[in-house]
Amino acid sequence: MKPPTDRGSLVLGAYVYAVLAFIIVPLVIVIPMSFSQNDYLAFPPTGFTLKWYAEYFDSRQWRAATWLSVQVAFLTAICASLIGTAATYAMVRGRSRLVTMFQILLIGPIIVPHIALAVGLYLFFQTIGLSGTVAGFVLAHTVLTLPFVVFTMAAALGKVDANLEAAAMSCGATRFQAFRFVTLPLVLPSLASGALFAFIISFDEPVVSFFLSGIRQKTLPRRMFEDIEQNLTPVIPAIATLLIVLSIAILLGGHALRSRSKTQSSAG
Amino acid sequence: MGNEIFVKPASTTSAAAGASIRISRLEKRFGPVFAVDGVNLDIAAGEFIALLGPSGSGKTTILMSVAGFEFPTSGTIQVDSEDLTYVPSNRRNLGMVFQNYTLFPHMTILDNVAFPLKMRGLPKAERHARAEAALATVRLGGYGSRRPNELSGGQQQRVALARAIVYQPRVLLMDEPLSALDKNLREDMQLEIKRLHAELGITVIFVTHDQSEALTMADRIAVLKDGKIQQIGPARELYERPANLFTAGFVGEMNFVDVTVESVGDLVSVRLPWGETWQLPPTAAVDAATVGEAAVMAVRPERLRLGTGAAGQVVKVTLSDIVYAGAAMLLIGRLPDGTELRARIPGASQLDALAPGDVATFTVPGEAILLYRGTRR
Repeated sequence: MKPPTDRGSLVLGAYVYAVLAFIIVPLVIVIPMSFSQNDYLAFPPTGFTLKWYAEYFDSRQWRAATWLSVQVAFLTAICASLIGTAATYAMVRGRSRLVTMFQILLIGPIIVPHIALAVGLYLFFQTIGLSGTVAGFVLAHTVLTLPFVVFTMAAALGKVDANLEAAAMSCGATRFQAFRFVTLPLVLPSLASGALFAFIISFDEPVVSFFLSGIRQKTLPRRMFEDIEQNLTPVIPAIATLLIVLSIAILLGGHALRSRSKTQSSAG
Repeated sequence: MGNEIFVKPASTTSAAAGASIRISRLEKRFGPVFAVDGVNLDIAAGEFIALLGPSGSGKTTILMSVAGFEFPTSGTIQVDSEDLTYVPSNRRNLGMVFQNYTLFPHMTILDNVAFPLKMRGLPKAERHARAEAALATVRLGGYGSRRPNELSGGQQQRVALARAIVYQPRVLLMDEPLSALDKNLREDMQLEIKRLHAELGITVIFVTHDQSEALTMADRIAVLKDGKIQQIGPARELYERPANLFTAGFVGEMNFVDVTVESVGDLVSVRLPWGETWQLPPTAAVDAATVGEAAVMAVRPERLRLGTGAAGQVVKVTLSDIVYAGAAMLLIGRLPDGTELRARIPGASQLDALAPGDVATFTVPGEAILLYRGTRR
């Protein structure tokens, strides 16, 4: 006799697969479109060509936008991890009553609509002359990506026993040395994974970049929107495909780092 | 930093002398609460002191003030007449062992033990040699290349011990270092720490809430309650003649009976709750007895004698439990007024006839009785 069929779990399974399909199908559509011979967006694609990739790599405008985005994302990752780590350390170890307020401020950018933030930053940066500069982008993106660093680091730092630092200090380490030699090595995988998050979020952030971009200084997402408005050629799916590959690589890298940090902290 | 941290030359044979510690009028307030309330404590060089008390008694706060992790509200802490009260912890040169091992999980055992030497700027070869020597001292030679998670709890705590003594500090601070270990291991480690103390001549302050641990290990024990020292003295003194009711109840097992003082003369006579009057030797009165006042009579369970053979006061007890406890039998019963009484009687043979519900006769030797002012109720 067969065990009775559980209808509930069947429905749940179907639902889960539906959600997954809903997430993955757009990706599956974009990739073949980038190899299509039509010079407009079409699905199903016809023929096979790499010319849209060639166009992307040959175009000075595309390359400039990509280079700006790489610069901004790289600097954002560094700023967000430095500030995020220091802030999270203060939050996790601090005894101040301001900690809760501080926490809300730090994760605020996730709750506030990006468009509101963008308008505010736009007006402010216009006045002080940061609009369209690398520094302006990095500042804005650091604010946007901080919550992600804070979340990863809060989990990691929370797992490091504060007594380990006390022990290091009783061994003669200064507070900074205790952090440098004991805490930092233990949270380094999470820090790297937070930095990767910051990088990828900054790299394809469209809303704030839309407002902050100047005539020459355009980030890749901003340039893509422009192209969509004006041409809408399969260069867009080609770039999208490249971004998908990059994102997956970074996510897998981050995952590998986090699982390494898990084995290490369980070692403690 | 670095250069003002003093490292003694490496030597494994000559005992490093301990430092003397003077804690004067130490006070630590957390808001309106006194965690430490005017503690004075003089510790001789090389002495082993246990701070014993229930949680919240201030024992850990005192230790943390000596370690430099807490700064007191007022008072001073001197080590070898040098005022360390507000010196940061990393500049105090004191060894410290924490309750939960606190080994650095990402370092090998050798690097863990060598860490204090690294902070003192010693070259790698020397710090590894000295870390090896320290590991050998705690009988963990050859474990250097392992990771902390490959060691048992007891071994980890021995590594922590090696790390605390590797730079030959003159004071070793221990914050309930054995409470995470199981009983057998704990007893091994107690002896191990005692041996190390004797070998190194180091001054030890040992915080514990386990009174038997304090009695076993320390030269002197400071009993704390509500941030105040209740009594300080060697184990025997603390156990044989507790200075007050709190110490009497906290250190070891104790029977208490509320009494009233009837007269004070060559003998102190007290009236017991069930109407009898007992004559006690004047030495029984720890606090001066005053006629007409309430007092508490205290007797250790192992000082009671079964039967009427010995000299002393005789008391009848209705037994409720007879527990075989290895070295001695534990008899639990009620006095005529209902007060619980425990007796520990060695030698089981004479007890075979007893059963719960029986009335047993005990003799209380006069010199086993202590008398305190106050009441238990």
